[in-house]
Amino acid sequence: MKQINKLKKEYDDIEIPSELDEMVKQSIKRAKATKKKHSPLKQWSIGVAAASALFIGSVNVSPALAQSMANVPVLGAIVEVFTVQTLTMDKETYQAELKTPAITGLEDEGLQASLNEKYTEENKELFKQFKEEVADMEEVGAGHLGIDTGYEVKTDTEQMLSIARYYVNTVGSSSTTMKYDTIDKHNNILISLPSLFKDDSYIEVISSYLTKEMKQQMADDEDISYFAFDGSNLEFMTIQADQDFYITADHKLVISFDKYEVAPGYMGIVTFEIPSDILSDVLVGDTYIR
Amino acid sequence: MTKNEKFGLVERFLIENQNAHYRLAYSYVKNKENALDIVQDSIFKALQSIDRLDEVKYLKTWFYRILVNTSIDFIRKHQRMTVMDDEILDGYLPKAEDEQTDMDLLDALDALTPNEKSLIVLRFFEDLKIEEVASVLGENVNTAKTKLYRTLKKLRLEIGEGI
Repeated sequence: MKQINKLKKEYDDIEIPSELDEMVKQSIKRAKATKKKHSPLKQWSIGVAAASALFIGSVNVSPALAQSMANVPVLGAIVEVFTVQTLTMDKETYQAELKTPAITGLEDEGLQASLNEKYTEENKELFKQFKEEVADMEEVGAGHLGIDTGYEVKTDTEQMLSIARYYVNTVGSSSTTMKYDTIDKHNNILISLPSLFKDDSYIEVISSYLTKEMKQQMADDEDISYFAFDGSNLEFMTIQADQDFYITADHKLVISFDKYEVAPGYMGIVTFEIPSDILSDVLVGDTYIR
Repeated sequence: MTKNEKFGLVERFLIENQNAHYRLAYSYVKNKENALDIVQDSIFKALQSIDRLDEVKYLKTWFYRILVNTSIDFIRKHQRMTVMDDEILDGYLPKAEDEQTDMDLLDALDALTPNEKSLIVLRFFEDLKIEEVASVLGENVNTAKTKLYRTLKKLRLEIGEGI
């Protein structure tokens, strides 16, 4: 066993880089912040580091300004989504840009207000958190941090509105999460994934479809990899009951996974359009998906 | 155990064993940046899928499995790049003669398939029990034993005598 011991010694002598510790802690912190159903709001204490004079924080509440910045998808010209607030920091190695969307024109003003408030609160909290991280970072020396949030209107039809909000966090490599809201404009309902189906069986139906689809894609293309299935024994893949999703203009269900959720980082955010015919048995009706 | 307690436990485990995790990743990719990336990726995967860790006593094998799979996945994607690196290094580095034996040993280890390498590293360098090694690699214990035996034999063939 002499040779093995020699090898083991070499193994034990592998030098540990000084940045490992900080990287591990930051990764845990970020994983915590992006973890589903783990509201980042709870994780952060109310006390905030004093705001630096270098923040070019701009809050535009004037409708005129908001209008000018707006990325306005108008259809039916009633319900609109626009940028209500942009929080920015531009300070050498620390960069932040947080765009907050707001919805106008929904008949149900309660629903509209609660969504808008959610968006504003989320970004406020993320920005606060970012400032704290910058303060931490400055204490230990220099570093690079970046955060970027924004939104994209995925679907805007007579009947439905799907908004996707992304959140990119950069420390060395970046992590990205995507959240969606889908609204029924006629009935003023915020659609949740379980509400589309008769019972829980959709989890099984969609998961088994995705398993097949991921395997197929990996077989077809060398560059595609999903780690939950990668010939490995990580058998822990089923979708969450409230998995992120949106509905396309032609009534197809799209399931979305955050970066790192089912695939290695280089795959980024991955989405799958689910064929409606496999869902027909479990759907409540064909109003949204068909 | 509440969700928060479980998260805290995993968190502590990740922080306390970071050096071992880094070494394990490094032994596959032989490069600091990539090893750091793999540890980072693995932490993400682990914490994102923490709900799927049923019993905390399997924490170690569960995380090692993620780490090993991430490393092997990385090698598979970047195979060509690693080979290039070695060639470039060989061209530039003068070879100290007394390092010759060590080079042979390392070469022999590098000549193993990722799966064989995992067996050696986990069993002998990380001192996992053979049952744990089997569980990390998703094999039954007898298969793992047989493969380990075969790998040792192969190593001896390539290093010469002495294992």
